[in-house]
Amino acid sequence: MRRASNVIFPALCGVCALLACALLVGLVFVIAQRGVPALSWTFFTDQMRQVGSAGGIFYNLLGTLILIAAALVISAPIATGLALTQAVYLRSASARSRLGLFLYTLNGIPSIVFGIFGFIVFVKFFGWGKSWLIGGILLALMILPTVTVSLIERIRALPRKYIEAATGLGLRQSQIIWSVILPQSWSGLITGSLLGLARAAGETAPIMFTATIFAGASLPHGIRESPVLSLPYHIFILAQDSFDPGVGAKLWGSALVLLMLVFALSMIALPFRLRLHDEAHA
Amino acid sequence: MMKLMHKEAESHDTTASADATFRVRNLNVTARGKTLLRDVNVSIAPRQVFGIIGPSGAGKSTFLRCLNRLTDLTPEIRVSGDVRFEGTSVRDPSVDPDALRARIGFLFQQPVVFPKSIIENVLFGVRRLRRLSRGVLAEVAERALREAALWNEVRDRLNDSALALSVGQQQRLCLARALASEPEAILMDEPTSALDPKSTQAIEELILKLKERHTIVLVTHNIGQARRVTDWLACICVRNGAGTVAETACCDALLENPQCQEVVEYLGSGSSLP
Ligand SMILES: Nc1ncnc2c1ncn2[C@@H]1O[C@H](COP(=O)(O)OP(=O)(O)OP(=O)(O)O)[C@@H](O)[C@H]1O
Ligand SMILES: [Mg+2]
Repeated sequence: MRRASNVIFPALCGVCALLACALLVGLVFVIAQRGVPALSWTFFTDQMRQVGSAGGIFYNLLGTLILIAAALVISAPIATGLALTQAVYLRSASARSRLGLFLYTLNGIPSIVFGIFGFIVFVKFFGWGKSWLIGGILLALMILPTVTVSLIERIRALPRKYIEAATGLGLRQSQIIWSVILPQSWSGLITGSLLGLARAAGETAPIMFTATIFAGASLPHGIRESPVLSLPYHIFILAQDSFDPGVGAKLWGSALVLLMLVFALSMIALPFRLRLHDEAHA
Repeated sequence: MMKLMHKEAESHDTTASADATFRVRNLNVTARGKTLLRDVNVSIAPRQVFGIIGPSGAGKSTFLRCLNRLTDLTPEIRVSGDVRFEGTSVRDPSVDPDALRARIGFLFQQPVVFPKSIIENVLFGVRRLRRLSRGVLAEVAERALREAALWNEVRDRLNDSALALSVGQQQRLCLARALASEPEAILMDEPTSALDPKSTQAIEELILKLKERHTIVLVTHNIGQARRVTDWLACICVRNGAGTVAETACCDALLENPQCQEVVEYLGSGSSLP
């Protein structure tokens, strides 16, 4: 009896793992198979033509990169402040758990709600119109829990001896934060940002009413009325009316590029995640 | 002459307390309802090596951490009583604990080097505590490394990672880091227990040299070390479930002729290495 369960349970786990891997590989394979024919040098350097059925995705890719960069820059200081509050400043356990609850709640907000929120507050109330900055702010809010939690974990994992040694030298708390805590945990910020963005960068819902349009934008020229093109929205629109076979090829090509982009984000995050383990053993 | 004198804790306190570097009165430490230290009274005279011995878990490290308020880092620890450093109460509300700690060096059992270069480690505290020019900082680093007898070993590789040093070198680097900001006193918590005999000897020689200018409080499990470097010794033992100073005396007197039953037992227990 016991021996049977020793065999069956691992086998079940193995099957599930295989299934998950097979799904991922299959998905990548399908997208690659259809997308690769569209890829070429000019696909990256040329701008979109003829409502998406010709040309490339230069400004779409650039727009998505702008949104990503804005989200990174905006979320980093906020996440740092939140993480320091949680892991260093807050001394009461109940206050810490309340802040933790806030982060988990924020993480659970659907992306379309962020989109509507951004539309009401920034597009309408502040009167910014569609702007890349709104997209950056919304993506920053979406990845904030991931970034913060990842940074908190790094700060928590920091060996206590470093704090004690720096305190013993007579350094003030602010000096310890800048000289000990942040230098040894900033990789958590990078990891969290990249992993968060790997999820959020492909979202259409938060940016479609607030930051991006389908055609007619290039580089942003300011903040108000300054939307960008973007990959997810491009795919969304093309997918809605992809009867034209020319559009179909471009659609799959764009999807493949987006997929490679988010894979790249995860891959860049990898060495930073491994760093954690190196130092933990040192 | 001094070394043969024997005094009970009380009489030692009264004679030496006037110009004591540290004067501890009725120190009580509790954590989560458990008493860690009860009624500790000690005076530590300037420019001497004051040794602390005692069984494991008796509260030696806790006592040491009360002297520079490193106990503040552990919120559940409650300290009461009067601890004075150079005459001022360390727990007085007007005292800035960071400024206090800057005047008192601390050496841990395991050397704590930051994952940075050797030179950055030496200057880690002092460059943030004082505004010094680059030239002065270089001088400070050299002086501190010389005082810690490390200069000759690292002078050619000051910009290499400090993690590449041996543990013994790392401990001397930590000492140099403490010395860089010219502390008046240095607290050492079993600084050689992680080191090989040769590095231990190097640290012991340094302690004897440093006491010319610094007050040193040294926690050690090594009775031979206590005999070699300390002037005064206190034995912290557990009495009624809490650590307390069972006996204070000058080094030889306490080791040769202990008065207290707990101290006799501790010294005779064989836990003490030669
Ligand atoms: N934060 C804490 N909360 C509760 N108990 C504590 C705390 N810190 C220390 N203790 C207890 O206080 C006692 C004294 O600890 P301390 O580290 O001062 O002993 P020690 O004499 O330095 O021992 P060793 O020789 O092993 O280093 C121990 O029994 C320990 O378990
Ligand atoms: Mg100890």
